[in-house]
Parts: sequence; C-alpha cells; structure tokens
Amino acid sequence: MALTEQLVPLVLAAAGEGEEETSNFLVPNGTFFIELAAFLLLFWLLTRYIIPFINGAMERRQEAIRAEFAELDEAKAEAKGAEEEYKAQLADARKEAARIREEAREQGSQIVAEAREAAVVEANRVKEQAQAQIAAERQAALTSLRAEVGSLATTLAGRIVGEALEDDERSNRVVDRFLADLEALESARPAAQNGATS
Amino acid sequence: MTLKKVSNGALVLAVVSFIVGVVWNTTGEKGEKSEIHIGEHRTADWPLVGTVHIDTIISTFVAGAVVLLLGFLARRALTRDPEDHVPTKLQLIWEAVVGQVNSQVEDNLGKVHPYAAPLAISLFFFILFANWIELLPLKVNESDHLLSVPTADTNLTYALAAVTIISVWAYGIRQKGLGGYLKHFFEPFPVMFPLNLLEELIKPVTLALRLFGNIFAGGIMLALIGLMPFYIAWAPNLLWKAFGGAIAVIQAFIFALLTVLYFAMAGAGHGDEHHDEHDEAKDEEHADSPEVDKVPVPA
Repeated sequence: MALTEQLVPLVLAAAGEGEEETSNFLVPNGTFFIELAAFLLLFWLLTRYIIPFINGAMERRQEAIRAEFAELDEAKAEAKGAEEEYKAQLADARKEAARIREEAREQGSQIVAEAREAAVVEANRVKEQAQAQIAAERQAALTSLRAEVGSLATTLAGRIVGEALEDDERSNRVVDRFLADLEALESARPAAQNGATS
Repeated sequence: MTLKKVSNGALVLAVVSFIVGVVWNTTGEKGEKSEIHIGEHRTADWPLVGTVHIDTIISTFVAGAVVLLLGFLARRALTRDPEDHVPTKLQLIWEAVVGQVNSQVEDNLGKVHPYAAPLAISLFFFILFANWIELLPLKVNESDHLLSVPTADTNLTYALAAVTIISVWAYGIRQKGLGGYLKHFFEPFPVMFPLNLLEELIKPVTLALRLFGNIFAGGIMLALIGLMPFYIAWAPNLLWKAFGGAIAVIQAFIFALLTVLYFAMAGAGHGDEHHDEHDEAKDEEHADSPEVDKVPVPA
C-alpha cells in the first residue's frame, strides 16, 4: 500500500524533528511576542468597542421585554378591574330594576287601594248628600204640606160637615195635634230606621 | 425538496471530483507529495523579537480581522436602529456566546466580571476563527502553504495561555491580597506546596498544548488525507473537515471555559466548592486528552 510507504518518512520526520533545520515546534520563538501583542490588541478592541454594545443591546432588549410584560400585566389588571366594575354595575342595575319593579308594584296596589277608598268615600258622600237632599226636600214638602193640609182639610171638612168650622182656635188645635202626631210618627220612624241601621 | 437539491449537488460534486481526480492523478507529476513537514514555517528575522513565523502571524491577523469584522458588523447593526429590538443573525451569534460566557462567569465568579467575561469571549471567538482557518483548502499538501492555522503553532497558544494565567494570578491576588493568594499554595497542608505550585505552573502549559495538539493533529490528518489519491481523498476529507469544524468549536469552548474556571479557582476560598471545580477542570482535561493522544500517532 502506498499510504504506509508514505507514512514512513512522516514518522521519521517527526522523530528527528530536533535535528532538522526547523526548530522544535514546542519551543516558542519571537512569534510569541507578536502573537501576544496581537491577541492583547484584539482583546482590547473587543472589550472596548464590541462587547459593551452587545451587552447593552441584550440588556435593552430584556428591559424592553420586561416593560412590555409589565404593561401587559397592567392592561390585564385594568381590563379585569373594568370587567369587575361592569359586572358590579350590571348587578347593581339588576337589583335596582328589581327594586323599582317591586316599588311600582307596591305603589300600584297602594294607588288601587287609595282609589278604592276614595271611591267608597265618594260614594258614601254622594249617598249621604242624596239622602240629605231627599230629607231636606221631604222636609220642605212636609212644611209646605203642613201649611196647606190644615186649611185644605179644614175646608174639606167644613164642606162635608156643612158648617163652617171656622172656630179657628179649635180647628187650629185639631190641626196642630194632628200634625204633632204626624211629626211624632215621622220622627219616630227615622229614629227606628237609624236604630235599625246602626 | 431542498434536501434533495443538496444531495443531488453533493452527488454531482463527488462524480466531478472523482473524474478530475482520476485525470489529475494520471497526468500530474508526483514525488514531492509524499513529504510532510511538521512544524515547518516560513521564518524571518525581525528586530527586537528575533525569529518569527510569518505564516502564523499572517493567519493570526486574518483570524483577528474576521473576528473584528464580525464584531463591528454586529455593532453597526446594533446602533443603526436602537429602538428596534429585533436582533440580526450576526447579533444573535454574538449574543449567544456573550450571554453564555456571561452566565458562566456569573455562576463561577458571582458576578459578570468586567475583565474575565470579555477575556473569555475574546478567547472563544479568536480561537474559533483561528481554528476554522484549517478548514479552508488553502494548503493542498504544499510546504509553502498560504495560510497555516495559527493555533497549530505553539507560539500563539503559549501567548493565549500566558494572557490567561497572568490575568488569573492578578485576579487571585486582587481578590485575596498577595499574602492570601500565596497562602493557598500551602493549603490544605503545607506539604502540598510542591503539588500546588506544579499545578499552577502546569495550568497554562496544558491550556496551550491541548489547543495546539488538537489543531495540529487535525492538520496532520488533513495532510495525511491529502496523500491519498485525489479520487478517494474527498470522502475522508469531507468527514474530517466536518469533524475538525466541530473540534474547533469544542477547543475554543474548552479554552474559554477553563479560563473562567481558573478565575473562579483563583478567587474562591478553599472549601469543597474549590475542589469540585478543580475536579471538574481536571475531568475536562482528561476527557480531552485521548483526542490529543490518539491522533498524532498514526504508526
């Protein structure tokens, strides 16, 4: 195999490295200082110009994300508060509506009761008025009758009897007695009536 | 439907590469291919620092430039509209890493440390893109390659480990005071001092060599695969590059994670917590070491 033949000089070269014209690769030379300076320069440049910016960007983004989250939480809390307020208001409104309905019902029944009462009172009043009027009219009729009935009866009786019952004193007495009886009867009747009703 | 398109495309690619490979293999000249040079770099002598590896330096700057470019692109997208909090995809990548490292640092150090966190982030991105340079098919088994992986050169990994460990020591001394920090070498028993000292000195070496070993081994595997005939090589090449891409991420992650853990260990008091973290770090190393052992021994 060609590969093994080719490996032999490699191994020989590796073994005899120290005697070769090239120096031992484990021993540093002047390149060391150049590399040191180069890396220190790179390190300084990165530390001065690059890494703070990367860190700053990361921090700013984290800050922005944190702010966004805080805002989100705030908005969420606000929305929740608003919802609760809305629900509370809704419940209040429902309660209020129920209260108003209840009140209206009560008021309605009260109005009906009042109206009924007023109607009863009015009816009583009308009835009493009518009764009073009737009584007054009756009284007036009686009074007018009293005046007329006496003379009329006397006249009639005189005609029947054929003699003038012109003895005023007596006839007046008779008429008055009659009327008094009539009145007594009259007053006894409403009294009995009143006693019966009460 | 998209999946079908992708699989059709892959099939076409495979067939074409097979044909091209057969033609190339039968017509192209051979010979130089069978040489793999390890640890060979294009070198130059620079004033003040001495011998340097030009290719490593170039690819280091390429990786660093890519990181910076991505960083500034992300930053530009950031600053364009500060009110718009929708991140771009690039920004998401940065934020994923930055957020991950920040939380890791916060868990271990108690807060997002203004030095440790950027250090771990810089290490992660730089190592990641440096590692991924390996995936670019820019050195088809040529000794004079265009871009060699900078993390496959110990110079870079030593430098990164040095930055890490010196930062860790400074952090520990600042947290506990010099006396308090030195005292931890003699705990729980004074007789443990040599082990504690050794551990502290081994930390940067393991950091550096773990990264180097993984990426270097990946490069050797790619070179080995490159030795195969072209019409076969595409299959293991595809697999190994996918695997290498994942290894690149894992190594970058481990380096950054261990940096954070070392910071935590240096700053923490000596309690159970310390030992737990210590064990965790050791476990990481052990879980990682078979990778290092397995790959570079092809014999």
